[in-house]
Amino acid sequence: MQTLFKEIFVFFGFFLGIFEGVRKLLLPPKAYSWQTLIYLSVFSWVLSFLAVGYVKNLIAFSGWLFLIAGTAWYTTDDPLRVPGTFMPVGALITGFLVSVFAFGHPEDVITPRTIILWPTISAIITAIPEFIGGDDTTTTAKIPEPQVREKIIILVSSCILISCWIQFYFVMNNWLTQYPSLMIDNFQRSTFVVRVAEPETKTQAPEQNIPKNGVTILDAVQKKVEQELNKTSWSEVERWLLEATTEVKKIGNKVINQKLGEYEERKLWRVEPRIANIKSGYGYKLDLLSIWTGPSSHHQGYYLQKSCRVEPIAVSRRSSRVAVSESDPKNTVAEIECDRLSKFITDAPPPQQ
Amino acid sequence: MLGLENITIPIILPLGVMLLQVLFLLAAIPIEALVLHKMLKFDKKTSTFYAISINLISSSIGWILFFSVEPILPINLKAELISYIFFHNFKSQQTQALLILTAFIIFFLTFLMKFFLLRFSVISLKENLAEIYQQKFEKNRLKWERTSIYRLQNTNLVTSVLIANSLSYSAISLIILLSRK
Repeated sequence: MQTLFKEIFVFFGFFLGIFEGVRKLLLPPKAYSWQTLIYLSVFSWVLSFLAVGYVKNLIAFSGWLFLIAGTAWYTTDDPLRVPGTFMPVGALITGFLVSVFAFGHPEDVITPRTIILWPTISAIITAIPEFIGGDDTTTTAKIPEPQVREKIIILVSSCILISCWIQFYFVMNNWLTQYPSLMIDNFQRSTFVVRVAEPETKTQAPEQNIPKNGVTILDAVQKKVEQELNKTSWSEVERWLLEATTEVKKIGNKVINQKLGEYEERKLWRVEPRIANIKSGYGYKLDLLSIWTGPSSHHQGYYLQKSCRVEPIAVSRRSSRVAVSESDPKNTVAEIECDRLSKFITDAPPPQQ
Repeated sequence: MLGLENITIPIILPLGVMLLQVLFLLAAIPIEALVLHKMLKFDKKTSTFYAISINLISSSIGWILFFSVEPILPINLKAELISYIFFHNFKSQQTQALLILTAFIIFFLTFLMKFFLLRFSVISLKENLAEIYQQKFEKNRLKWERTSIYRLQNTNLVTSVLIANSLSYSAISLIILLSRK
């Protein structure tokens, strides 16, 4: 029985200890302490919900200041240092808050710039106390000792270098959004970058793994070409096919500007036709190619191809379709039929005739 | 609310860039520290500090130049740049010539930067930093003599920085040559 009581006491003692610790952490020992500042920041945060307009911004602003000051104070109380440097972990936290405060927006708090400048700001915050001299009552600006200057210069410059690396990550990320066709490629050969996330298309069938923008271009070009050629008289179509290179290029440029306007990679796509005779008098094979002239891991580059057959069809007054040989050539019109899917070919595009 | 939708899960990380840069710095700093120690008679610790600071700061400035040049590159050069970074190849042959030109420009730019940064670092470690500026205008008496000594020191500084930079670039080129796949 006694042991049980003892156990219970120990148990209570444990909770009491926790409670005491929490109380010590939460209750400011005196009015002039870091907890007060944190409470002030929470208080202003709550208040900012009630206010509107510029008052709200003002209160939120002062809340940020309280939070930054409070964390800075707390973390300088007992400095736990980042391993290998003399930078306290607290400076990292304070630096992050300052960075969020300086570069965040009300709608998205963490912007790329916040993260880019985080290390640099933290390093500067670490360095600031070295420039402040004096005792408890007076503070003066001073220039630190040469040894300390050495440490500060190395710390700040290496943090700037880390910021540059983070910025480079965002530059590359921007490339991937501006040139989405890069995503289907593999980065195995690169010594500079490592792919972390596999693209979603990899999990699907391999023939799905083709650049979406190329497919979009070809589909739109096909539709335009069909509109122009279908039901037009055969002689006109033959004349069009003679000028096909310029005609298709014109259509292609229009389509690319229309569909890919938001991407920078639009300048790297090119649309070209390839025409072959199937049998004289019985129509042509029209290949529409969208050629990627941008960076690719394939040395020859790649292109997408869609084959169309352009055939003459006779239209008589009585029935809609008669064999070509029976009717007179003035009544023949063209009919165009294209593949439904684009083919993805990793090679240099075939030569023009 | 936190704006995390802008910052998605990273698809690619520039780990290779970071590791290569650390490797280059680890190669360049001891070489340059040795040259500064031998030629300018700084003690070992100070010359190491000079080498570290000029290399770190010059590479940061290099990055900042890259970030300011990258958005205004014409599309074909940008494509070549992306091609080199992502796929380690170039699309056209003319880029090789351009690459050599760029390497020359980079070499001389870093040389200039390192020279000025070294002078800045030498000043930054002076014991009486504040007094130097005050005394600057007072001493006119031994001006000619002082400037000639200063000029001599300066030429020595130029040659040693040039040698240090060339040696560290040779080491880096060797690493690039060996790391080619």
